[in-house]
Amino acid sequence: MIRPQSRAFRSRIVAAAALVVATTLAVTGCSASSSSPDANAAKPKTLRLLYTTDEANAAALATLVPEFKSKFGIDLKIDNQPYDALQQKVFSEFASKSSYYDVVVVDTPWAPALVRDLEPLSSYLDNAKLNPGSPQSDLTDFIPKVLYDTSVYNASAPIKQYPNPTQKPNLGSITKAGFDIYGLPIQSNVAVMAYRSDLFNDPVQKANFKAKYGRDLTVPKTWDEYAQVAAFFTQPDKKLYGTTVMAGVGDWATDDFKTLLASYGGDGTLVDKNMKPAFDSPAGLKALTYYAKLAQSGDVPPGSTSADWGTTADSFDNGLTAMTINYHDLKLADTVKGEIAYAPVPSATAAGPHFGTWMLSVNKYSKNKAWAYRAISWLTASQQQISMTKESLHPSRTSAYAAIGSDNPLASFYDTLGKSLAVGVGRARLTNYTEVSHEVAVAVNNAATGAQTPQQAIDSASQKVAALIKSGS
Amino acid sequence: METTATPSRSVRKVGGVGSARRQHSGAGPVSGRRRRDGARVVPWIYLAPAMIVLLALTVAPAVFIFYSAFRNDNILGGVGRFVGFDNFVQAVTDSSNQHSFLVTIGFVVVVVILEMVLGFALALPLAAQTPANRVGAALMLLPFAVTPAVAAMIFKQLLNPNYGWVGYYLGELGIAKGADLLGNPTTAWMMLVILDVWQWTPFITLILMAGLQAQPIEPREAALVDGATPWQMFRHITLPAMAPFIAIAAVLRTIQAFKTFDPFKILTGGGPGESTEIINLGIFRVGLQSFNIGLACAMGVLFLIVLSLFVPVMLRLIGRRADPEEM
Repeated sequence: MIRPQSRAFRSRIVAAAALVVATTLAVTGCSASSSSPDANAAKPKTLRLLYTTDEANAAALATLVPEFKSKFGIDLKIDNQPYDALQQKVFSEFASKSSYYDVVVVDTPWAPALVRDLEPLSSYLDNAKLNPGSPQSDLTDFIPKVLYDTSVYNASAPIKQYPNPTQKPNLGSITKAGFDIYGLPIQSNVAVMAYRSDLFNDPVQKANFKAKYGRDLTVPKTWDEYAQVAAFFTQPDKKLYGTTVMAGVGDWATDDFKTLLASYGGDGTLVDKNMKPAFDSPAGLKALTYYAKLAQSGDVPPGSTSADWGTTADSFDNGLTAMTINYHDLKLADTVKGEIAYAPVPSATAAGPHFGTWMLSVNKYSKNKAWAYRAISWLTASQQQISMTKESLHPSRTSAYAAIGSDNPLASFYDTLGKSLAVGVGRARLTNYTEVSHEVAVAVNNAATGAQTPQQAIDSASQKVAALIKSGS
Repeated sequence: METTATPSRSVRKVGGVGSARRQHSGAGPVSGRRRRDGARVVPWIYLAPAMIVLLALTVAPAVFIFYSAFRNDNILGGVGRFVGFDNFVQAVTDSSNQHSFLVTIGFVVVVVILEMVLGFALALPLAAQTPANRVGAALMLLPFAVTPAVAAMIFKQLLNPNYGWVGYYLGELGIAKGADLLGNPTTAWMMLVILDVWQWTPFITLILMAGLQAQPIEPREAALVDGATPWQMFRHITLPAMAPFIAIAAVLRTIQAFKTFDPFKILTGGGPGESTEIINLGIFRVGLQSFNIGLACAMGVLFLIVLSLFVPVMLRLIGRRADPEEM
């Protein structure tokens, strides 16, 4: 039997406890707070890092292994996996809460699903002992858009975007808004245009172009110019086509479409703030109509409707096309005599090349979290990023782009890359983005092959994507 | 009656022996029962390691798949819950899944029929044990020995409309120079079927060749003496005698064909559009790229049910044909 006084006393205790809990949650912004890092943790003999192959330039990262050993006295063991296998490996490692890998590379589309298994880094960034040379890992040096899109998450609401993605990175503002940092960006991929400068500078080509179109042959800045220049260069009998499209069913087709959607004034993330498909719009229709027309124009190599980013790169590298849009620098085959230059992808009413960045994250279940943080801080530092540009790394820091001199053989590429990242448009944050991307890619492919009209393709994808967003949330 | 009476006699006999032993050893009826029980247990002890492996590697995962199909568990943890038949409803009502199930069955039916016919046609001349045939049989193993993923990658290069041999020679023949054979649903399916037939027909040939070599010569000689034509001998002697081998080859190949994955993933990725998205690609995408484990398990269970219905029906059909009286 409970006495009335005792019941009242218990009620007061419960109320006080609830108040303490509520205050704590309010102060922490309901976010997953960083555990306090142990800066004095014993140094491990080895740190294990799970990384990509070509997708995030494994060769560049591998060049830092000896220097890492001499700097920290730790062996950095890097396991490389190609994309599909890497995704499965990363998810299975986290599913089993494995501590085997201390550092894991994470691609943007995976992050919303994984963020609760990644170590929040705010307390590591704030710890002076862990950042002896560069306070807070020089956070302000990261390209703002890249950092916010790639690494800044609210673990309680992983589909939420940081409200001000162009703001100079500031740890205090990030944590105050209820967000945290879940990794440091290492490789920023963005759609850039590559073209054969030798063809564009050829006096004969210039004269022919002027005679045909009544204007100078210039690097296209709008999609209309792009289609016109592509048509001009196309000479199938000489095995030369104007440009490429990556219209095979895969994330690449979605990326091509995202770029066009954003440049026609649509929401290039594909999903709007109300969690509705953003491509079922006049801008989306214009974008897909343009893409389908280009794919069916004959100005792209045969096989473009089953092409991915690798095959389009091969086509350009082997001299089959005068222009291409891809995520990385290109190199002409030995048998092709010519030169490559780079420019931002064309635009219509706006610019919004697709971008996505890989980040290095600390495994929440690692036994060496403080050392793993030191590792990612060092690997993504400006000096290391500059050094890795020798192997074509795509830096994520503004200082790395500033340090690339005109004598660098890829100066034109890096200049374009930096400019494109500044205006790039990332992906929607969804836990099932892969499925959404697949449905959009199917629609893009159907429109490109002519199996559906652009409107039919958009309608069909919109319905499926809406259902996926609903089931995903 | 004889067969039913035999066990009881043997039981009595065992009992008799036991009684005799009991008289010698002085042991009571309990001891004899224990010995009989022990004799029954011994085979199970011998079987236990295999049973444990089977349970751990086959039965337990299958049970877990059934369990997961009724839940919405997240691979990364968190609180999953029982969702009843929701995953099955989604798997069955989704138009893409319906299409995937249908094209998978269509693909299996087409390739198994083609491979059986071609395999038999190749096995008949190769069954004669001559040195040339031995070389031929060894060469036949080559496509079968190539890893499906490697075969698909080679095919993809051959089919490249810009550099591939297939497009080039089709152009030389004036058919379709630089045709994008993987960019059109019809030709993409044709290429996938051709690759499968190229790779797996030797498997059928080898099974049927072994069957043909095991056939006795006497019935054929007798038929020849009676003036039977080659077609009559094939129709009434070879074919009925080969029925068990045909059944084995067809069932094994059907099961394998249902499991096809690599060529589709590498050659078409399910495209153009979703035209070549077989159910295995869908399960892979849903389960291992989007990690919707519940839905992927439900799709797997449905696939298993289809397969479980398909194979016994096929076995019964072919098995009935194995009875010479029905031929």
